[in-house]
Amino acid sequence: MSRAALRVAAFAASLAFGFAAACTQGGGAAKKDDAFRVALLTPGPVSDGGWNASAYEGLQRIAKELGAETSNVQTTSPAEFEQTFRDYARQGYDLVIGHGFEYQDAAMKVGAQYPDTAFLVSSGGVSAKNVASLEFELDEATYLAGLVAASMSKTGKAGCVGGIQLPVIKTTFDGFEAGARSVRPDFKVSTVYVGSFEDVAGAKAATDALIAQGADFVLHNADAAGIGVFQAAKAGGALAFGTNKDQAPVAPDTVLASAVIDMPKAFVQVAREVKEKTFAGRVVKEGFATGCVDFTWNPALLSRVPADLRAKVDDARAKIASGALKVRP
Amino acid sequence: MIVEFLAAGLALGTPILLAALGELLVERSGVLDIGLEGTMLVGAFAAAVAAQQAGTPLPGVLAAAAAGVAVAVLFGTAAVLLGADQIIVGTAINLLALGGTGALYREVYGETGTSLVLPTLPRIELPVLSKLPVVGPVLFSQHALVYLALLLVPVMAFFLARTGLGLRVRALGDHPRAAESLGLPVRRDRMIVLAVAGALAGLAGAALSLASAGSFVEGVTAGRGFVALAVVVFGRWSPWGVLAGSLLFGVASALQFQFQATAIRLPYQLFLMLPYVLTLLALLLPRGLARAPLALGASYERD
Repeated sequence: MSRAALRVAAFAASLAFGFAAACTQGGGAAKKDDAFRVALLTPGPVSDGGWNASAYEGLQRIAKELGAETSNVQTTSPAEFEQTFRDYARQGYDLVIGHGFEYQDAAMKVGAQYPDTAFLVSSGGVSAKNVASLEFELDEATYLAGLVAASMSKTGKAGCVGGIQLPVIKTTFDGFEAGARSVRPDFKVSTVYVGSFEDVAGAKAATDALIAQGADFVLHNADAAGIGVFQAAKAGGALAFGTNKDQAPVAPDTVLASAVIDMPKAFVQVAREVKEKTFAGRVVKEGFATGCVDFTWNPALLSRVPADLRAKVDDARAKIASGALKVRP
Repeated sequence: MIVEFLAAGLALGTPILLAALGELLVERSGVLDIGLEGTMLVGAFAAAVAAQQAGTPLPGVLAAAAAGVAVAVLFGTAAVLLGADQIIVGTAINLLALGGTGALYREVYGETGTSLVLPTLPRIELPVLSKLPVVGPVLFSQHALVYLALLLVPVMAFFLARTGLGLRVRALGDHPRAAESLGLPVRRDRMIVLAVAGALAGLAGAALSLASAGSFVEGVTAGRGFVALAVVVFGRWSPWGVLAGSLLFGVASALQFQFQATAIRLPYQLFLMLPYVLTLLALLLPRGLARAPLALGASYERD
């Protein structure tokens, strides 16, 4: 291989890494002693219009409301989780957020080594002195989705499409099934996992398969790939439920309602504690009761929902919020 | 039911078939382009932007082919003309494509993204064939790129085996030195082959974003380019073998979703593995001429 060729290959490689680095913002700014600094690690692209996008919005809200300097990076492999946590902690960040269940171990390990940095795992169940987890009880909202599906379904069947079978994904499907069975004990719910949160074509094929089996309602929890679920539902004449964000604008004629997490609100709450030095490591449960989880109808399709069913949903929501109705067995 | 998942398999297999046919040609000419995943991704992105801007899918298809050629030329400039290591350049292309399409996507559609709903390729009902009972409506009402991919199989088989130009491509891959001694410009010819394959990989991306997915998200190819690479080996560097491999993978993918949907109580990972396991098993079958082009992956420099 000639020297010129080597140089070109090196250039191409550096270009590629440069682009990858360009996708991660901020970072390099030197630490001012009084600056409040917050970093975010996401498992996927923040342009997914779902789970990761909501975290990015949360980070922007922290910057705006608390005047924080922020940085975010997309990590793809578990090996990077620890390394990135450590990098931010070493740079003196006040709060580092790992956006998802998969960051738990890394947060606990690095948290023990850097006691001056607060770590937050969004959607997790671990805690230490400087490590907190948000546990979103999104299954409270998917329970209502299940209740709606079973009440309106003509076929007696519904489907769930997930990205990867993480516990937080599975609980939303369990909630859906529990909600459906609460009105129709014989209601059938089938679940398909695509194996990826980006494979739109796979999610579409998976939804086609569910509809071919007779499902006329579909719930997805597959982030960016979820758009394939909406498309297949539309083509197959089924209705769908969105997750994490209000997804009615994505598919106005297909998304009947969404199970929504108010990620910015939850993020700002914890970040404010860190800024005001009242932060304590713990598991923060966020559900209907705290206002960080919601079940949002699509106004354009609301006319299809009978009034008594809407009343039933409101009633169940109130009972879940007050603790009178338990979604998890 | 069986016909339905055959149709689903055909749809899922088409992007892989298009990409693999191009890669087959490139490998027969002695070049190993593992940047296929990245080339597809760039094609998918170009198709998405052009189709979304135009409001119709056709400009997307053309843009995807053009973008695929551009990526292939970039690869070829480094790997063929300058003789850089093909594996390294291919890897760089994959990284560049993932980061580059991601950055551009955020530039065009905002940092948190919009869930793109693209104009999709219309289904074309073939006269007569689509009227066949049972099979007809499902198998013969597909989008244009499915037919194109299927048509390319016999065309490429004939081209490689029966035409002078096909012989030239094979000579490039098996014995570039001999080809050059006959006066063939090895590097230029390899660049032409790469450009054709780049267009096909771009079209594979278009088949994904304008038909199978109907959308673009970062990393939407989800490893299909690497599957296409495996399919070329699986297909023993023959167009018919590549067709079989692509269909096998597509049908197995469709089948595993059906299995999951029928709620067979097994870990879903077993089903997800199915297409890959089948491909691996098929690789083990002793069958016919199982040899790679002799000069595959070696950069060619003149004396």
